[in-house]
Amino acid sequence: MAGSNTQLKHHPVKEPKGLSPRITWLRDYYFQGANRAWNNEFTAWSTGTPWDEIYDELTFYIVPETYAFLQTFCSSFLQAARNVPLCGEFWDLSLPERRAWFVREVVAKLLPAEILPGDLIAGGRFNIQTSLCLDQKETKVRKALVQGKKGARAQMKWFHDHGYGNAGATSGHLIPGYEDLLKRGWKGVHDDLASRLEALGPDKQDSPGACQLKAMITASTMPRDLAARYAALAREMEAKEPDSARKEELARMAQNLDHTPWHPPRDFWEAIQALWITHMLVMSDENYPGPGVSFGRIDQYLLPYWEASLAQGMDREWGKEILKCFWIHANTAYDALIRTGGNGGITAGYGQLITLSGMGADGQDLTNDLTYLLLEVIDEMSPILEPKPNVRLHANTPDALYDTIIDMIAESQGAPFLLNFDERSMAGMMREAAKAGRQDLINASNVWQYAPVGCLENTMAGNDRSGTVDINLNLLKAVEFALTGGADLVPYKDTIMGKAYPIDFGGLPTGDPTEFTVFEEFFAAFAKQTRHIIKKAMDLYETSESIRAEFSPTPYLSCLVKGCAEKALDITQGGAELSLVTIEAVTFATTVDSLLAVQYLVFDEKLCTMADLIQALKDNWEGHDILAARAKFKAPKYGRDDDKADAMARKVMDLWTEETWKHKTRSTGRQARPGMLSWNYWVGDGYILPASPDGRPKGQFLSNAICPTNGADINGPTSNANSVGKAMGGRVSGKGDYGNYLNSLPNGASHTITFNPSILADPDHREKFKAYLKGYVQNGGTALQINMLDAGMLRDAQKNPADYRHLLVRITGYNAYFTSIGKELQNEVIARLSHEGL
Amino acid sequence: MQGRIFSIQRMSTEDGPGIRTTVFMKGCSLACTWCHNPESISALPQAQWIGSRCIGCRTCMEVCPHNALELTPRGMAIDRGLCEGCGRCANECPSTAMEILGEDRSLDELVGEVEKDRAYFENSGGGVTISGGEPALQTAFTASFLQACQGKNLHTALDTCGMCKPAALEQILPHANLVLFDVKFADNTLHKKFTGAPNKGILDNLLAINTFMERDNTPQQLWIRTPLIPDATATGENILNIGRFLASHLGQAFSRWELCAFNNLCRDKYTRLGQVWDFADTPLMARDELESLESVAKSSGVDPAIVFATGATRTED
Repeated sequence: MAGSNTQLKHHPVKEPKGLSPRITWLRDYYFQGANRAWNNEFTAWSTGTPWDEIYDELTFYIVPETYAFLQTFCSSFLQAARNVPLCGEFWDLSLPERRAWFVREVVAKLLPAEILPGDLIAGGRFNIQTSLCLDQKETKVRKALVQGKKGARAQMKWFHDHGYGNAGATSGHLIPGYEDLLKRGWKGVHDDLASRLEALGPDKQDSPGACQLKAMITASTMPRDLAARYAALAREMEAKEPDSARKEELARMAQNLDHTPWHPPRDFWEAIQALWITHMLVMSDENYPGPGVSFGRIDQYLLPYWEASLAQGMDREWGKEILKCFWIHANTAYDALIRTGGNGGITAGYGQLITLSGMGADGQDLTNDLTYLLLEVIDEMSPILEPKPNVRLHANTPDALYDTIIDMIAESQGAPFLLNFDERSMAGMMREAAKAGRQDLINASNVWQYAPVGCLENTMAGNDRSGTVDINLNLLKAVEFALTGGADLVPYKDTIMGKAYPIDFGGLPTGDPTEFTVFEEFFAAFAKQTRHIIKKAMDLYETSESIRAEFSPTPYLSCLVKGCAEKALDITQGGAELSLVTIEAVTFATTVDSLLAVQYLVFDEKLCTMADLIQALKDNWEGHDILAARAKFKAPKYGRDDDKADAMARKVMDLWTEETWKHKTRSTGRQARPGMLSWNYWVGDGYILPASPDGRPKGQFLSNAICPTNGADINGPTSNANSVGKAMGGRVSGKGDYGNYLNSLPNGASHTITFNPSILADPDHREKFKAYLKGYVQNGGTALQINMLDAGMLRDAQKNPADYRHLLVRITGYNAYFTSIGKELQNEVIARLSHEGL
Repeated sequence: MQGRIFSIQRMSTEDGPGIRTTVFMKGCSLACTWCHNPESISALPQAQWIGSRCIGCRTCMEVCPHNALELTPRGMAIDRGLCEGCGRCANECPSTAMEILGEDRSLDELVGEVEKDRAYFENSGGGVTISGGEPALQTAFTASFLQACQGKNLHTALDTCGMCKPAALEQILPHANLVLFDVKFADNTLHKKFTGAPNKGILDNLLAINTFMERDNTPQQLWIRTPLIPDATATGENILNIGRFLASHLGQAFSRWELCAFNNLCRDKYTRLGQVWDFADTPLMARDELESLESVAKSSGVDPAIVFATGATRTED
């Protein structure tokens, strides 16, 4: 899930280009949304029992926008559900076996199968909501755990409403072992599972492990059965097809499906077909469309198939045609709620990530022909949301790749991809290996194989579930508790009903801050509260994690993640070799700046007393204009490459990340690890959390992921990047986690920087921008999202100057802060931008 | 050792090769009527008020020891006769609306500041530029600063208007890898009219730099810059004459001649300083004007490959 900056984000109207009539039709058809005759909208399927439950709300606990609708979803999916005739022994089967059988039955037999005109890839409908397959007793137990008075839902709601953040056991957010699957085929997976089951011995055939393996064996036949159905359909269509070229395509598609994904693909077309069916069924198995189920390094593992097909004479453009069909399929994930909202269900919320380029063993670069081909596909298909690309950069990235991506950035006024930075990212993964004691699985010989999931969350591929969006914690809550000695600063309200809660004493008694005589006492209180809220977040997570582990197996996904077969344990129960969960800290810069403001206002400059400051915050800064301005404009801020302020950022980073490593889930033994993503919470939770000492009133946005607070970044893109790199750990010769690089955040952190498009105006400036990115490799963070400002943004800046203080308007030979020049001139600059399309 | 600066620009892309950090020194030996940095001319600290940041608290007025400030319905009136640039207002202003232009910074601190972007310099062939105002006026500081930067293996550039004592250049040039040298007019009368000073000393200094380069191999590079100011420098005759001068006196000694198109974004700076700007209503140049001056420059005898026109031009609706 992307940490996007809604204020600064304008989607430029870039047009697709170079599309064939086939792809133009498929793409246009896709964007007809709810007007399409065909779509991939959710269908619901029930066991038909009176107690049945379908919707698994736990998976949406990290999406506060859905809280008001959880009950509605629960009932409406049930109402819309069709009953599935159950096999005779269904209720005698274990839960994972029931679930595997049920999902396969729906997908391979009951869901309609269609192939769209001209489509080269089969595999249409995959958005399903299937029965949890619980018996009556299981349902009762689960219902109490979820919906009871002190159940998971109530706890989650309370936590969110009191400004802590949110947590929930969420689907996806991993890279299934697609590379391995393509090598083995599903038959290989099936046979391996069968031999593991047999190896358990005759007396263990009813053990939980055996049941899990049996469920996985059933699941492993699902892609075979579905492919057979599509092969038959392709043949039917071929028979009726008058156009000879299309006839030939359909015949070839049938042959592809006869062979793969049951057997390993033999060429590029088969590989893409196998990859798609395998991938879409993960979303079926989890009952969740595209939640960060990511592909990993496709330009690497698809390369052998690509080269084989080229050697057999496949045309390069034909390869792109196949990929573009795959692109359309990936976007149909959004069809799940196609009638919701005005945009055909298209939100920015899904993230089927693909990773391009990056480092190989010994630091050499792995950019290849397929990397460039995939970039061409992205360029020609854009604007389109899925799959979301990340391009990995490192010290040895070739200039040719930089030139390609910079051209793409220039054309789209904002990168159509995220940039991921290898050295810093790998340092984080190496830190994880050390902290989690998993150097056997992550080490110098393989860490370069990491890839991001969802948006930018770094993981290993094929054996790693790190729950990268599962726990989202507002560090600012600890500042609030330090200011009150452990109580809510102001009464919080129920975010749905609007009713005020009583003041809650949920923090630790860290003493009356008005009696603190030095800032260190305040920081010590903050540190205690931070440790406390991390524990609270882990406790909350445990409620949904333990329920999922007991009641929501995903045996199909388990087939694709190394460790599950070996341990005969479902991925939801901690089966993955690398089984972790990520705490994503939200409000980092707001927290750091708040601490800096307390130090500056109360202790260093003595501009107010602690009591004055607390009163001002209780009053939401109203009637305290001068103090608010001092907090906002005079107190030091993180993000300016100010070593003293950045040292505070480093101190906060150390504190919370070190504490995070001390935790594991109790039910599933997943090690907690730190990251900074913050999706859109920094917007919504800004309306929940009270005023903060950095001068922010309630209702104003919090800081986004690892970015400085809005308006704090006044020294430009190099200082911004330097601050981010320092906060993550910086570089220390000979003492890094990887090379000289340190990184406290294995998950990585979302960083957005806005540039003026004049930085790309001519070849000379493009070289300078390239150098900036190379400098970022050395000094910056793990992931960068680039915005090129446009006239629309400048108009917004005129209306909201406080949010755009950092915007530099660069006219040759002269730089000016946009908001500090007069209105008339602002208009002139805007006009110039609109005309020149700079 | 301290230098008086009015601004530091990180990630500057216009003051020499690559990505640079530019340090702007306060005080200038010329007073060009079109100056884009009017705050650079006086060597003394100056107060300014940025209206968009002001919260109207009047703290500045209360703390001013000289009664130089008055918040009026049309904005902050700063009595320049009374203001001594002491900086109390800027120190106390809670919202940074009051600023003091001109700050004394220590050499070590400044070197530390510019070193922060080493990674970007190294990847771009960039470095540090000292500009102004006229940095050569603060001779000892500029020389020591550039020397210290070179000592840390940073590429250095001196951006000069050329109006300074030859002895000052002699002190500074050994520590500059590049000189960005402004040549505004070939004609002395016009030069005097628009900049307040004759151009003889400037052109002599330019030739002296050439001698330095030949004799000591420092600086290693020389770039010439000519601002194109409508109704002042931006005439075909002036550009042709400058080009002829450069071609005949410098030969191959310089590696770039930049024609920098006029821009008017500094209008507010004059207002904030309580000054009137002669060019407040001058529009940007038209593209064909810029192109025609560029072609004059290219046919003046200077190697056309080293002539570059930069800057935004007017859009015709």
